[in-house]
Amino acid sequence: MAIGVICGLFAALISTMGGLSLGYQTTSAVAMGVPMAIAGGGYCVLLALGWFQIGTVGPMAAYWAVCFPLARLIHEVAMATTFDYDTILREPLWSFLLFQAMLSVGFAIGFLWLHERLMPRWLLRIEVHNPFATALLDRYSAHANTMLRRKEERTANKEKPSSRS
Amino acid sequence: MPIRKMPKAPPSIHLLGPTMFLVALGVGMGESYMWPRLVLLFGPEIRWLFLVGVSLQAVVMLEMSRYVMATGESIFMGAARVFKPAMWFFFITAMLVYIWPGHLSAGAAAFENVTGIPWQGTAITGMILVGVVFTLAKVIYNLLENVLSLLIGVLVVGTSIVAAIVGSFADVLTTITGMFAFGYMPDEALTAAWFPVIVGSIAFAGPSGMQQMWYTLHLRDKQAGMGAHIPQIRGLVNAGEQETMPSRGFMFDTEDPEEMEKWKGWRKWVTFDAIVLFWGITMLVTISFTVIAQASVRIDSNVANVIREGEQDAALQAMAGAFAAAGSPLLGTVFFLFIALIGLNATLGLFDSFSRGQADMTYYFVPGAQRFSLSKLYAMFLWGVIAFGILILLFGPADGPAGILDTLAFLSTFAMGAYCIVLLLVNNLMLPKKIRPGIVSNAIIAFGAVFYLGALLYSLFAFGVVVS
Repeated sequence: MAIGVICGLFAALISTMGGLSLGYQTTSAVAMGVPMAIAGGGYCVLLALGWFQIGTVGPMAAYWAVCFPLARLIHEVAMATTFDYDTILREPLWSFLLFQAMLSVGFAIGFLWLHERLMPRWLLRIEVHNPFATALLDRYSAHANTMLRRKEERTANKEKPSSRS
Repeated sequence: MPIRKMPKAPPSIHLLGPTMFLVALGVGMGESYMWPRLVLLFGPEIRWLFLVGVSLQAVVMLEMSRYVMATGESIFMGAARVFKPAMWFFFITAMLVYIWPGHLSAGAAAFENVTGIPWQGTAITGMILVGVVFTLAKVIYNLLENVLSLLIGVLVVGTSIVAAIVGSFADVLTTITGMFAFGYMPDEALTAAWFPVIVGSIAFAGPSGMQQMWYTLHLRDKQAGMGAHIPQIRGLVNAGEQETMPSRGFMFDTEDPEEMEKWKGWRKWVTFDAIVLFWGITMLVTISFTVIAQASVRIDSNVANVIREGEQDAALQAMAGAFAAAGSPLLGTVFFLFIALIGLNATLGLFDSFSRGQADMTYYFVPGAQRFSLSKLYAMFLWGVIAFGILILLFGPADGPAGILDTLAFLSTFAMGAYCIVLLLVNNLMLPKKIRPGIVSNAIIAFGAVFYLGALLYSLFAFGVVVS
């Protein structure tokens, strides 16, 4: 969810620097940021429920291949409605959705990249009053323990050089 | 080489590995600026050369990893084992190529367009900041991985969103089909004005110059394969904790089936890095940039003429203007911000890599250098390159960011042809037979040597120039 909010803030910041009107900035930021935030939050919930494994690309890319085009569609409809555009989309709906789904792969990789870096820190802050966060944090801890075990194995191997050395 | 046990490989499906460096360095000026510019001039069909360039680099990456993961030694050490002057050649080449602060200058110039802050000031501040951060780091690799992850994440998410807003299905379709228009070469591309630029752009498709060689040092610091037996480099403030580096690498027992299984695990791990992360991410980002470029030219068809007539700085401005025309004024700003971000990314990666590579060669091959720890040598080269960069920006002959980038592009192509030859020699002469590369990999690397050096020589002899 936080990354969705960041997307909205990102859009607003860029709009500001680009010299666009306050109304355009706000509409674009909300229309883009809210659906993305909901989709990002949904991903976290599904992750906590165990539908997704931590750090895996495939299922998460499939998830965004659906959510990203939907978020963009909502964005286009909101902008067209607010500013009274003649047409909502510049191209047929099927090609619009297909195009967005193709670009969603890049977004999904970037999302996961940021998510894996930011999420554990955020969970530590909210775990006190959020059972989902606690469950997810436990999974991250288990993941970290596995990594630690691998590191210990490496160290143990390092300390036992072969007799052929 | 002494025999030691190889550690087990982590699962191959992961997202945060040493490839981060190659992605950070690879997704640079080539992908964001040089190739979109060529698309604006010659159409998306010119991208078949990009596909060849990036695919070649993915194979180079796989082969570069072979020696370091088998021995824990960098490719420079491997080169010295084959022929010591080859190693010194790269030591000198690195000094000639990477002391020029080209990427940061280009990024700072883009930042100036958005904020009005003079590019020299931003570039100098950026360099000092990079130096301070790396000096204070406990383990430099960990810090760099964290910072680059965030920067690349923002870049990938940002370009995808912008492309999704301004592009169309037709744009992405022509971008992808253009990559398979093998042999397409319009007459204008074969002129003295543009062929050298195309050669430089091919070198800049993915990580250019010596970045692939430095990747071997990052693999070692990531403790990949036999690199697990070599200590990690620490920042200068923590140099006192630096463990003594062994005088040579280690080898695993290739006759032991269990060890060979682990080796296969590591090869799988690095193959995922090369194909999915490096090749995939580079391709995705450049597709997004090309989609944006095509959207812009649809609105402002004059941009190609401006690029034809103008200098490189003018081209950068024209592209930003066209991006703005494609959607709204914010797109021009976005374009400049991305270029600034890429400049910072590249600087972080390049300064670290340069210092790492030079320190490694100095530590092992300069008599008396081992009285300093590797961390101290790293810091010396880091602050050396920063000091030189500041002097060049303030008093040097640098002809602006574009001029520095041109120099880098030419020297990079030369270094890449040379490292392909070294790679063939090291992997086929220094490794046990069981873990040497196959005939297909060797043939591709040999093709790389001919491709880079051939294009450079053709450019030199046919047009009398190597880069515009």
